[in-house]
Amino acid sequence: MMEFLSSTFTSYVALVPVTLAQSLILAFVVMGIMIPFRTLHFPDLTSEGAYPLGGCVAGVLIAAGVNPALAIVAALLCGFAAGCCTALIHLRFRIHTLLAGILMMTMLYSINLRIMGKSNLSIFGTGSVFDWAPFVTPGFPAAKIIIAGIIGAAVFVALNWFFKTEKGTAMRAVGANPAMAEAQGISVWVSTIGGVGLASAFSATSGALMVQSQGFADVNMGLGILINGLAALMIGEAIVGKHSVFRQLLAPFVGAIIYYQLVSLCLAAGMPPPDLKLATGLFVLAMLALPSLKRGRGGAPAREKFRE
Amino acid sequence: MLEIRSARKTFYKGQPDEKIALDDLSLTLQTGEFGVVIGSNGAGKSTMLNAVSGAMPLDRGQILINGDDVTNTPVHKRAMRIARVFQDPMLGTAASMTVAENMLLAELRSKSRTFACGLNAKRLSDYKERLSILGLGLENRLDTRVELLSGGQRQSLSLIMAVGGSPDLLLLDEHTAALDPRTADLVMGATVRAVDALKLTTLMVTHNMQHAVDYGHRVIMLDAGKVKLEIGGEEKADVTVAKLIDHFSVKSDAMLLGA
Repeated sequence: MMEFLSSTFTSYVALVPVTLAQSLILAFVVMGIMIPFRTLHFPDLTSEGAYPLGGCVAGVLIAAGVNPALAIVAALLCGFAAGCCTALIHLRFRIHTLLAGILMMTMLYSINLRIMGKSNLSIFGTGSVFDWAPFVTPGFPAAKIIIAGIIGAAVFVALNWFFKTEKGTAMRAVGANPAMAEAQGISVWVSTIGGVGLASAFSATSGALMVQSQGFADVNMGLGILINGLAALMIGEAIVGKHSVFRQLLAPFVGAIIYYQLVSLCLAAGMPPPDLKLATGLFVLAMLALPSLKRGRGGAPAREKFRE
Repeated sequence: MLEIRSARKTFYKGQPDEKIALDDLSLTLQTGEFGVVIGSNGAGKSTMLNAVSGAMPLDRGQILINGDDVTNTPVHKRAMRIARVFQDPMLGTAASMTVAENMLLAELRSKSRTFACGLNAKRLSDYKERLSILGLGLENRLDTRVELLSGGQRQSLSLIMAVGGSPDLLLLDEHTAALDPRTADLVMGATVRAVDALKLTTLMVTHNMQHAVDYGHRVIMLDAGKVKLEIGGEEKADVTVAKLIDHFSVKSDAMLLGA
């Protein structure tokens, strides 16, 4: 028993830096999931398609010799467009947000394949933004932690500022009460399209960073990213809370860091990787079921309570 | 000034249960006038209010505010001119946002929103002052999320939000109906004080006959999508609840029993 614990601990500790780098990159996807879910009350699945979209776009551009930073900007813009499409499908055709997201991510799969022309693409050995990290040797987790950390901090500060401006407050109002927001002169369309677009832009950015980090792009890289992101978000919210702009924005970062360390711990303890999705799914289910379990055996509340 | 010109709205058109909600309804409200709309259920009161606010497009007819045709203007653009207090206290405020943030949203109703910081010190002290008029202690709870307030407090907040910035037209949609009698009186009192002080052009829908008698310059009774009766000027001063109820058709006598 002691032997098991010590070997688990040793292999876990060895993985800490790599996992930290990975979680800082994936924190952007969690942000891209949090903004529609929490700020806009627009449950959105686009990230499952926007994340590989960002990866494919960045991969193809870097393979073609484009500057890696520019590749990230291009990925970000493509992600933004994908998010705008999802919001537009929902607003214009009154299709449920979840279905709009599923449509978008299914269509994006083909688009991603078209962009790359094959199912995966190696960009190993080409330059990446992580080469520009100060003080450290490129290629090591420390470089990734520094670069992803800097971008993450910049995004956090920018969003924390934006959501407190007049425009940002208006965007939050659309999520809190669309009818009221409209009566206060706020265009629900502009805020929803802009907000969901912004969120998918973050997911795509994450994909672009991940491709540069792992050295290859793959059309299937988004598989299950949404449920991982949701699990991370819930952990983050359980720890830092969600009742202020600051806390709500901090939750994706804290959640991503802790969630991926937990995953790494499970793997180090010998959990077979194929079981990971089941474990994550059960965890998210438990987190979602907790409020209902606390309330007692009443079961689901009246359907009217469900908000689109 | 509000003008509604032969507004027509039909629900379920061409189906067996076709219903004419507004039947060439015309109504004019002068600037600074306080009109009180009464009528039985299904008379078209809510449809009229929704048509004026822009939430429901008309089949035919026009809506003019201060002489400008706003018939085809979407809700969020009309909000530059129109403020509305809903019947449901939940509808008029953003529950998960703070009192101060709700006040900010209302203040920006008729302005263009910028990338400047929303809640600055000047605004906060202004909100404190405006909320203190209510005497509910809301001025000390600027950072409280609105979902933690009572229905009466939320509705009072909605009212302060609506009258701020002196809108061209104030719509009150049975805004005291969901409150207990004491709170309803409090909110109604605050409404009348604000409307008088700011000389707001106001259209209030109510089921409370006493309110219709006590407040406003003109009583407008709707029936089957038309204006059935208007009582204004000298005559309005002499009107009583009993007289008003006499005008309701037999069909809507259920209302009498309820009153």
